[in-house]
Amino acid sequence: MIRFDSICKKFRGRPAVESVSFEVARGEIFGLLGHNGAGKSTTFGIALGHVHADSGRVTVNGHDVAAKRASALARVGAIFETPAFYDYLSGWKNLRFFVSLSGPVPQARMEEVIRLVGLEERIHDPVRTYSHGMRQRLALAQALLPDPELIILDEPTEGLDPAGIHEMRSLIRDLRTRHGLTVILSSHLLHEVEQLCDRVAILHRGSLAFCGRWQDTGRPRWVLETPDAENCPVALAALGVVIQGDGSLDLPDHLDPAEVVRTLVLAGVRVTEFRKAARTLEDFYLERTG
Amino acid sequence: MFPHQFSGELLKLFARKRTYIGFAAFLGVEILILLLLNLDHVRRSISRVIEDAGYPAQDYLSGLTLAFLVLLWSVFLLGSLYLALVAGDVVSKEVEDGTMRMMLCRPVSRRRILSLKLAAVLVYSFVLIWFVALTALAVGFIHSGAGGLFVFAPMERIFALHEFGPGLARYFAGVFLLSLSLLTIPSIGFFLSCLDMKPAAATIGTLSFLFMDMILRNVPFFESLKPLFLTAHMATWVHVFEYSIPWEKMAGDYAWLFAINATLAVLALSVFERRDLKS
Repeated sequence: MIRFDSICKKFRGRPAVESVSFEVARGEIFGLLGHNGAGKSTTFGIALGHVHADSGRVTVNGHDVAAKRASALARVGAIFETPAFYDYLSGWKNLRFFVSLSGPVPQARMEEVIRLVGLEERIHDPVRTYSHGMRQRLALAQALLPDPELIILDEPTEGLDPAGIHEMRSLIRDLRTRHGLTVILSSHLLHEVEQLCDRVAILHRGSLAFCGRWQDTGRPRWVLETPDAENCPVALAALGVVIQGDGSLDLPDHLDPAEVVRTLVLAGVRVTEFRKAARTLEDFYLERTG
Repeated sequence: MFPHQFSGELLKLFARKRTYIGFAAFLGVEILILLLLNLDHVRRSISRVIEDAGYPAQDYLSGLTLAFLVLLWSVFLLGSLYLALVAGDVVSKEVEDGTMRMMLCRPVSRRRILSLKLAAVLVYSFVLIWFVALTALAVGFIHSGAGGLFVFAPMERIFALHEFGPGLARYFAGVFLLSLSLLTIPSIGFFLSCLDMKPAAATIGTLSFLFMDMILRNVPFFESLKPLFLTAHMATWVHVFEYSIPWEKMAGDYAWLFAINATLAVLALSVFERRDLKS
């Protein structure tokens, strides 16, 4: 659907993005992660033609964004962390204006999208009277008009309250499941990304530190809970397993976890619990970005 | 699609309250000038100039003459201010507010967006100038009634008197030419607005350039350099009131202004095409 090929960009000699390549398949929800200044917004900016890459290219459905902007962005919608509108115009007039830049959209389609984002009661009010959450929903509405296949969401939950975050998450899920959209989003809320995204890319200091399914990487860690912790190191040494101070263990690939429990019990260690450690995206992200 | 997009651009421009500051200010200035012209010694001065030329003052101290004086005295200075204000804002404010990035999420080229904005600013300029001209005429007629047109523009060395019919025709021709002349102001403002600068800087830059140009043009020692000053070409509209209109000179001036405006538009586009738009 969208492909980033070795994109590089420097601002005043300082690299913002260095040779970043990844691809997002049709129907995926893809997360772009990174610290502030890691290059996420620059990457999105290049994808939308707001920023000119020094080298490399971004293609959407095979169309180069820099060379064939109109074809490349014909079915793309985007929103930013602080969506900007003409405050003195109503939500409806704002939508009408932005949509006019894509082409004619029937009124019924506009009303459908406004209903989808839940703004039907306030759409004719001036945008200056909207809350941040309503602005985000209006931004989502403009991104969904006329009929995108891909939407790019830069910090879509920024500034939203917990209910707003939940609502936005449900909306994004709906966009994929009901409308078949491909979604690329960036967020600092790793818990959200973990729940939403099929795959993630991690940018660190402008370079790609990871891209793929983070759940599939690394060996799972195990947690042992026992009142006889002092006897564990000796018992586990025979299996070549080292227990960490926090009670977690890394098991060699060939070792059956049941064998660990058996060895411990035979050595007289009482095992209260032996389970796979829950590994969060946050743990993974911090591992990758140091 | 262009008309639809263009109407959206006009809607944005004319839905803002600040767009109307210029209209309100001009109306105020027109009324103020008419009140001042009503003062006895001011009326006597003007009457004397007309009578010295051998014409009856009461025939030419008319609404048409007052409207012309309002245009001559107010439009360049006050018009510059409001045209620069709107043109200086038109791109840079959208970049600053982030709405430009929203627009550029659409499958539309930067060239198209700039064309829409430039066209909207030019329409605004025409509307403002014609508003001033028509309201000045209306207020003038209400105040002094119909009559001949007395034209006195010392800087351009023009002194002429026209009957009501031909005078009115020349007034409208003059307003049309003035509208063309003043398009150079939004062209400069628009160009600066496309550079990486704040809206206020674009407005102040435009005004500074124009006022500097005007000041230098009026320095007697720079008389030989006059053709190089923009405002010298912009002032050519007044020649339409001469008895014998110097069409060739005026055509030359407008060709010069057109070339400047076109160059500024091309430069604005090429600069804006290369800009990176970041939050």
